[in-house]
Amino acid sequence: MIYVIDHNDSFTHNVIHQFSCFDKVVCDNYDQININKIKKASVLVFSPGPGNPSDYPETSKIYNKFKGKKKMIGICLGFQQILFCEGAKIIEQKKIYHGFQSNIRVVNNKSLFKRGKTFKVGRYHSLKLKEPFKNNNFEITMRCLESKVAMAFENNIDKIYGFQFHPESFLTINGNLLIKKILSA
Amino acid sequence: MTKTNQLTDINNSGRPYIIYRSKKGFDLYTDFSKKVILNYKNINNFLSRKYKRKSINTDLFIGFFGYELLNNLIEVKIPKQKNISFPKGIFYKPEKKISLSNNLKYKTSHRSLNPKFKLNINRNTYTKIFNKFKKKIKSGETYQIKICTKYKTKSKIDPLDFFVRLSKTNLAPEAFMIRDNNYSIISCSPENLITRKGSFISTKPIAGTVKKTKILNRNDALKYFKKNIKETKEHNMIVDMERNDLSRICKIGSVKLYKQKIVEEYKDLFHYVSLITGKLKRNIKNIDIIKAMMPGGSVIGCPKISTLNLLNNQEKENRNIYTGSFGFIKFNGDMRFNIIIRSILNFKNTSEISVASGVVVDSNANHEFNENYIKAKALIDLFK
Repeated sequence: MIYVIDHNDSFTHNVIHQFSCFDKVVCDNYDQININKIKKASVLVFSPGPGNPSDYPETSKIYNKFKGKKKMIGICLGFQQILFCEGAKIIEQKKIYHGFQSNIRVVNNKSLFKRGKTFKVGRYHSLKLKEPFKNNNFEITMRCLESKVAMAFENNIDKIYGFQFHPESFLTINGNLLIKKILSA
Repeated sequence: MTKTNQLTDINNSGRPYIIYRSKKGFDLYTDFSKKVILNYKNINNFLSRKYKRKSINTDLFIGFFGYELLNNLIEVKIPKQKNISFPKGIFYKPEKKISLSNNLKYKTSHRSLNPKFKLNINRNTYTKIFNKFKKKIKSGETYQIKICTKYKTKSKIDPLDFFVRLSKTNLAPEAFMIRDNNYSIISCSPENLITRKGSFISTKPIAGTVKKTKILNRNDALKYFKKNIKETKEHNMIVDMERNDLSRICKIGSVKLYKQKIVEEYKDLFHYVSLITGKLKRNIKNIDIIKAMMPGGSVIGCPKISTLNLLNNQEKENRNIYTGSFGFIKFNGDMRFNIIIRSILNFKNTSEISVASGVVVDSNANHEFNENYIKAKALIDLFK
């Protein structure tokens, strides 16, 4: 079972719809997290959402508690939430990407995806990861071709993954394949 | 007796009636046997009650949900606002339905004179709100938000005269009018929010409108929309949001972007629209559909909940019908609902016209303020 923590977002049900292609999905909002359900889940997903990671201490708590014990996937805000818990700073970016389609590229040999491969993806974010960001086991694996902003990270030891873009958006081509690969990793 | 006379006769009889755009022309509903005034307490009951079927044509309730009621339903709070005590929603059970052609005919005996309109927020205040919301976009609290401004005037109007004249210049696909004893609504809404037939459901968001001219054809309109980054981004966001709202109530894998960003041609306008469809899950009730889809995302902004909260804390005046939904619910469960925009509400001899336009990060306060006026002008011109 996949447990999705929603952050009052208007895209979370697209995420649920997408993950439901692969497994049973259960979702609760971040202010109604159910620990028993989490214990039964094999994967935790942190949804997109408004605001920034410091607005969601409940989600951070869950991340810290289950890190290394469950596979975890963060999308957009969820991506930032995980990095924030790992000590990263999340900052405003000059150009804002809401409803944008961008080309991104795999830039790291340690990725599950082939280095140099490009994807067309949908983006909805005004904030980004402040770099340089260094953390053992966490690799930035994808970047925007144009702005070079971090678009994905992978931690293949603890099985933690994050996408700054939205694999569930209609703007993302082959989003299902991305999710399938992460889920079977 | 011809049908045009029929329309005049019904109007002159003083009975309440409703006109709603149909595929071929208009449908007129009248002889109401029931009128339900909705509030937060009775809405559940109203939507879940089963009714005995009698006649295919009139086995339905037709009416509207106001904006506030739709917020109540999804537990979004509205702080105390200035309001005119207009009902939060009203539905009628018609006993008579008449089909009318596109070409409505009616001559009014009294037309009001050029009243002055008052705007509830001026350019300065608008710019302040605009800049505040722009900051909220930068900090990620909202991705897109629509500021509503309201034009008001004291006047007695002949709603049928307004509606008939409006239908000559703008034959909108979701146009409707309601004339009751103490209020009337005239609308040229272009946007369908919910079409439900059995387990099939669709929504057809519009983001992007351009006026037709002699030299601008459909292809030019498509090029214009594709080039316009602001419209494209707004449109993308709405499509993903509506996919989301349908995904709440539809079977896994059934939500499809059936038509992606196409241009639809109307009498005076081109609209940039998408069509999203799905198959309802088995146990879904109409109240679940309404809660998932309303208020319609394209007139609010995104994400819905945080954006509604930002709006409600900012707006000092009740939206009443504006960005609510008008339509019908058939006794067999089928529904059709629009989004109430481009409308006049006349209540207690005061007419109000609300308009809104979107703040996204690269929009400009002055431009959007003027845009609001352009949107209101087609309706304001009816008072001349």
